[in-house]
Amino acid sequence: MANYFNTLPLREQLNQLGVCEFMENSEFADGVNALKGKKIVIVGCGAQGLNQGLNLRDSGLDVSYALRKEAIEGKRDSWKNATSNNFKVGTYEELIPTADLVVNLTPDKQHTAVVNAIMPFMKQGSTLLYSHGFNIVEEGMQIRKDITVIMVAPKSPGSEVRSEYLRGFGVPTLIAVHPENDPEGKGLAQAKAYCVGTGGHRAGVLRSSFVAEVKSDLMGEQTILCGLLQTGSILSFDKMIEKGIDPGYASKLVQYGVEVITEALKHGGVSGMMDRLSNPAKIKAFKISEELKDIMRPLFQKHQDDIMSGEFSKTMMEDWANGDANLLKWRAETGETAFEKTPAGDVKIGEQEYFDNYLLMVAFIRAGVELAFETMVEAGIKAESAYYESLHETPLIANTIARKKLFEMNRVISDTAEYGCYLFDQACKPLLADFMKTVDTDLVGKNYNEGKDGSVDNAELVAINEVLREHPVEIVGRKLRKAMTAMKAIKTV
Amino acid sequence: MERGFRGEAMKQPVVHIRHLNLKYKNNVVLKDLNWTINRGDNWLLNGISGSGKTSLAKIIAGQQSAVGEIDINFDTTSKLPARVLYVESWYQFKNLEGVANFYYQQRYTNLQFKETLTVKAELKLFGKENNLDFTEAEVLIDALGYSGQRDSQLIELSSGEHKKLQLIKALWLKPQLLIIDQPYTGLDVNSRKVLNRLLDEAAAEGVTLILISNDEHAPSAINRFALLEGTLVEVASAEELQLEADQPLREIPGFLKVPPNYSSDHIVKMVNINISYGEKQVLKNINWEVNKGEKWLLQGHNGSGKSTLLSLLNGDHPQAYTDGLYLFGKPRGSGESIWDIKQRIGLISPEFHWYFDSSSTVWQSIASGLYDNFGLTLELPYSKAQKVDELVAYFGLTDIKNEILGTLPLGKQRLTLLARTIIKDPELLILDEPCQGLDQQQTRYFNQLVDELCSNGMTLIYVGHYESALPDTLEKRIVLEKGTVKIIEDINVPETEPADFQQVN
Repeated sequence: MANYFNTLPLREQLNQLGVCEFMENSEFADGVNALKGKKIVIVGCGAQGLNQGLNLRDSGLDVSYALRKEAIEGKRDSWKNATSNNFKVGTYEELIPTADLVVNLTPDKQHTAVVNAIMPFMKQGSTLLYSHGFNIVEEGMQIRKDITVIMVAPKSPGSEVRSEYLRGFGVPTLIAVHPENDPEGKGLAQAKAYCVGTGGHRAGVLRSSFVAEVKSDLMGEQTILCGLLQTGSILSFDKMIEKGIDPGYASKLVQYGVEVITEALKHGGVSGMMDRLSNPAKIKAFKISEELKDIMRPLFQKHQDDIMSGEFSKTMMEDWANGDANLLKWRAETGETAFEKTPAGDVKIGEQEYFDNYLLMVAFIRAGVELAFETMVEAGIKAESAYYESLHETPLIANTIARKKLFEMNRVISDTAEYGCYLFDQACKPLLADFMKTVDTDLVGKNYNEGKDGSVDNAELVAINEVLREHPVEIVGRKLRKAMTAMKAIKTV
Repeated sequence: MERGFRGEAMKQPVVHIRHLNLKYKNNVVLKDLNWTINRGDNWLLNGISGSGKTSLAKIIAGQQSAVGEIDINFDTTSKLPARVLYVESWYQFKNLEGVANFYYQQRYTNLQFKETLTVKAELKLFGKENNLDFTEAEVLIDALGYSGQRDSQLIELSSGEHKKLQLIKALWLKPQLLIIDQPYTGLDVNSRKVLNRLLDEAAAEGVTLILISNDEHAPSAINRFALLEGTLVEVASAEELQLEADQPLREIPGFLKVPPNYSSDHIVKMVNINISYGEKQVLKNINWEVNKGEKWLLQGHNGSGKSTLLSLLNGDHPQAYTDGLYLFGKPRGSGESIWDIKQRIGLISPEFHWYFDSSSTVWQSIASGLYDNFGLTLELPYSKAQKVDELVAYFGLTDIKNEILGTLPLGKQRLTLLARTIIKDPELLILDEPCQGLDQQQTRYFNQLVDELCSNGMTLIYVGHYESALPDTLEKRIVLEKGTVKIIEDINVPETEPADFQQVN
């Protein structure tokens, strides 16, 4: 199988990368009708599979689960998840031939095997749905020409897809139709109906393409979301230990700091996050984030280039073929860092203290979000797509770090994200070595404002505020966040 | 606030409070309050909603500050831990990752990974933290009929079961000063009696008790009674703690005088319904029919399956997709969405309240009932906004309509959620222990409202343990026991729980 994106002429590459339309509510007026009475068979019953299925059924749709024979006979967790919630379960042979819509919610790595196994059973004119386009775009999976291929990708963990739905809301979602597989022209209507069935239409839907989704998703997860949060966390912790900050305090500040800081990001964007700092602290954070952007820009560009050329997926698939040798080795190394091994201390850290004593992370996040966004847009990805894959998802990953630190964060995210995260982390740390020598505890571990009188140069502050607020990620973010104002704050502290 | 601890002198009072003052926003809540709690005194405290009962308890427990002086004198010769334990009326548990971010229907969903601790693990942890002997907990578990819950996850517990878990912890720890806010909330009749016996035993061992409750049947160890009205007013008995002055009923809003728009004569039909979690069967062979306009009382012990039964009706239970369940004349799972079902139902329950997003205002919370979502900010068309205004006025909530729900006393929150349930003029009203945590005067008012609201032909299912606190409109009764239907019958005198049920308890 050849990389699909690389088979396209440049104008078609740009065309598909540029599919990006924020959809109006009125476009969902038909509700779930396009799927009403149709048989929906979901392959896989993990967190996404089960929770999406529960939502679809609660929206009045007919849902069952196809599992591998071994999973059924062995009564594995996927079988228990489905049967104990009164879903019909059967093998591929039994259920796929009855399906009008087959939903593939297995892990990325299994897609080729799963799709090859189910395709012969799929009936003429049925539809295959993905929630991530890797298999189609990077692996070049060819789907039978009578089958419609669509994507509906909720931009949240499965548990949140369910809880937001039950609150009468939903999570932001990307939808797409594969231009090579839309023989009857029904793809978009079905994707919209599925989106309504999962509740996504209430929280903002972006019409995208398989190509745009994959190229932006890979970029976001490798750089700002997982990679930079990991690098920034480890460097911050090590710096505090080096400077004699109490390890329990340092561990807690790092574990929960990203969550508290990105909560501000979620509601008010980069400028909202920076506004939580005092004026002198904001100016300082601005300056070091500018420096960080200059240092890290070539690395962000390299990641985007490797993603666009297919180099990244090629290397990663070689590792899949090699029994995940690199992935497992790097994962083990993450489990061995000093931060991972130091439990969070029993100290109280106030909400504002997470900002004042962790200026370095605020700077890392501003630099990372803006760099990821800028690099994606320069590569032909539209602003809305770039926003979802950078700023929007950062708080979600930060939540998992707060709950489980880095080792577990890496296990929770997809293998693809995890692989990319390690590549970034390994390259980024040496890049920042000189910069880190200049960092002291005023930036991480102690209150930056201590001993300062709070006065700043007014003109300088005005200019910095202007730069922050007029960044394109802020302009597009203000528009998109309006559609998700009711997203519930997740709090652990 | 000055706060002192001393550890000697049996003659010293356990708690000595002088000149305590507390304001909430611009209102004076506690005004120059003085209170001496001597050794051997056990207090029962009551007061109207918003009188500061909970605040006072938290101030004594050191969880809230105020202006004034408080001395707490522990007995150093006692074996009991020199501690103040405050058991709150609402209890927030966390999952294994330390997050308290659950959703209301989560306890009904079967998942293979464990999100919360089991009861047993939670108790073991508590015992270890406090150096307690687990065999003593076993005695309490048996006494409160809690052995069946040992292996349940915290998320699976009903509100009454959570209450029992808190009580087991408190009685096991036996702190020198034990303050319990609403100890009987959600407990069935029998559990209340057992609890009183256990509290008496604790008092005999030297625990000083402060109970905040509107219940007349306090433990016999209680020997001091006080009403909180800015300052403490001591009275002679629990009876005198009862609050008078019913609120006048207002004219019911016009849109609620119109009968609900029924689409079927049959509201609920269950034929041999079974629900289980793994090996544990929670409902067995349930057969039950509810027809339009009927007014049902649903009763049963804690853990008898009442809330699971109701979750099947409200579209909240994944196992509701089963043969034999019909809602509004249609078999469940025949293409209807849960939103179609919820549109016809108004529901309130302690669990629903628990998980409700309390960061919305009173007005927004009521409005959210129109669309069955959890208090989201909405822009309503004029006619709907007018309905919300009418209900706000009818329930006497106009003064506080822009207050954040979570900052209000429990009684006001409950009234808000009741208003939310009827904003749609629903076909079926499900009130699952709606008066839990309300004082008697509020309960009376609340039930009068229920009677009025149901007079337009609305169908009602009402869950209540307290024989003296039921609306008059109830006419039929279903009793569950261990997941099966024990009694289905007509009731003529709803004020008293018939003798056979009291025996069951």
